[in-house]
Amino acid sequence: MDLSITLGRLKLGNPILVASGTFGYAREMEGLVDFAKLGGIVPKTVTQAPRAGNPPPRTVETAAGMLNAIGLDNDGLDHFLKHYLPYLRTLPTAVIGNIAGKTEAEFLAMAEKVGRSTGLAALELNLSCPNVSGGVDFAIDPAVTKRVVAGVRAVCSLPILAKLTPNVTDIVPIAQAAADGGADAVSLVNTFVGMAIDWKRRKPILGNVTGGLSGPAIKPLALRAVWRVARNVKIPIIGIGGISNIDDVMEFLIAGASAVQVGTANFFNPTLSGTLADQLPAALLQLGATRVADIVGTLAG
Amino acid sequence: MSNLDLSSGKSATLQRTAQVVEHVRMARDTYRIRLEQPDLARVIRPGQFVMLRLPGRLDPLLGRPFALYDTFLDAQGEPAGIDVVYLVVGKMTGILKDVAVSQSLVVWGPLGHPFPDPAGDQDVALVAGGIGQTPFLAHIRELLGTRGYGGQPVRRRTRRVRLYYGVRDAELAAGVKDFESAGAEVHLASNDGSIGHRGFVTELLESHPAPQHLFGCGPEPMLHALAKVAERMRVPCHVSLETPMACGVGICFSCVTRVKTDDGWDYRRVCVDGPIFESRKLCWE
Repeated sequence: MDLSITLGRLKLGNPILVASGTFGYAREMEGLVDFAKLGGIVPKTVTQAPRAGNPPPRTVETAAGMLNAIGLDNDGLDHFLKHYLPYLRTLPTAVIGNIAGKTEAEFLAMAEKVGRSTGLAALELNLSCPNVSGGVDFAIDPAVTKRVVAGVRAVCSLPILAKLTPNVTDIVPIAQAAADGGADAVSLVNTFVGMAIDWKRRKPILGNVTGGLSGPAIKPLALRAVWRVARNVKIPIIGIGGISNIDDVMEFLIAGASAVQVGTANFFNPTLSGTLADQLPAALLQLGATRVADIVGTLAG
Repeated sequence: MSNLDLSSGKSATLQRTAQVVEHVRMARDTYRIRLEQPDLARVIRPGQFVMLRLPGRLDPLLGRPFALYDTFLDAQGEPAGIDVVYLVVGKMTGILKDVAVSQSLVVWGPLGHPFPDPAGDQDVALVAGGIGQTPFLAHIRELLGTRGYGGQPVRRRTRRVRLYYGVRDAELAAGVKDFESAGAEVHLASNDGSIGHRGFVTELLESHPAPQHLFGCGPEPMLHALAKVAERMRVPCHVSLETPMACGVGICFSCVTRVKTDDGWDYRRVCVDGPIFESRKLCWE
């Protein structure tokens, strides 16, 4: 059984990754997850300057999902490189940095600095966080998406993953723009913007009013996004959205994802990612496959 | 933002399925659920909490945090599992109350930091409001050295423990006999005077001589009042906070509270940086 996968220039031991913002800086998950079992870990998004994040309440549970408006609470790039990267680089799996810039110039400056550090297998660009007030959602515009990806590629030699937002009329041209800019893969999808209301107080529940919806509730929406991009754009895809069991993993692979990221399920079933890696070979065998690539994008009909 | 302190010697977190072996009503809308889970019972300490989740359902999706009420022991005196006491307040606890003995829950823990040792060795006061009494049974036993937790040697940490426990009315008082039999002097207060002192539990506390250390758990207005009492009494005070949590393990960054720093304040995660904080370090609204 060969579980290894290739995402452009990035080679990973297996297709089970964990999504940025749902796995902390990995250290929190010691004891719960055997990191060596994972194809990769994407730590929480880092910004150039420290950000306090949004006022609480930052999350609220919804039917089969949750809304979050954390607001990229993090201690900034320098702190990340100094305090978190030394630990992350010791882990027995690929670590994929995740950055968000406020401007194109900031993205490039951060990517250049990250590219000079050792220990990261790839760089994922958070082009799509819905919770940064005043920030620009880069991945709603194909031209901007292409420019940022190409710019990062020119200053950073790491494989580049572009994490895209589903909050667009059509995600296909955005994914095409990321491919044209030189991305090694696209990560589909980030959260869907939503809100929750306390009608008795006539108030929004989240401190930030709106937030990103994630969890099992969004899985059908994410599957469709993956399927459409897989059919229309020549670029490897990492599927994300509500994955909470091995069936979900297989559905994303069949839809056209070469790998997946487990997100919200890490919150309500913290050991899940390691379990999925254990369960994957048997699921592949059920389809008579001996390699992950044998089933990627093999939806019949 | 965060100051992840991993040098504290905390035990690694476990996730397990645990069978319900007892489930009893203690007071109005208040229940004690007993889970068999020796691995967890051996390592958890007073002040720490667990996440509980109803298996096999996506609504409610997330686990919920619950303080350790106490461990229970098997016939050989070894930790066999944990007791959790909860108030029915919402969707999850509304379903939890109907979970029968022999059914299972998913549990992960131990989470957060335990209560620190008190200042002095003579007199500690614990102050609870609402359902905030739940972390204090194990704490009383640890303070008086009548039970060991987390593999720590049994050691008496103080001569005397007082528990000040405030409820809205007498029917909500849960566990008073447990606290008394564990060796605490229990002082009750209620909003309507149906049990103990009529009025706030912090008023009752302040009418008595100052202890050497205060610990509090309860609604935020009560904890804020307690922080002020501690200032007036000039004694150290630690409070255990309750904030909505999605994960309990530090990865979601939901449960933050404002903590004073050298240059102002910063959000800290209650789950991994707390749930116990020095009251003077919190930014009370």
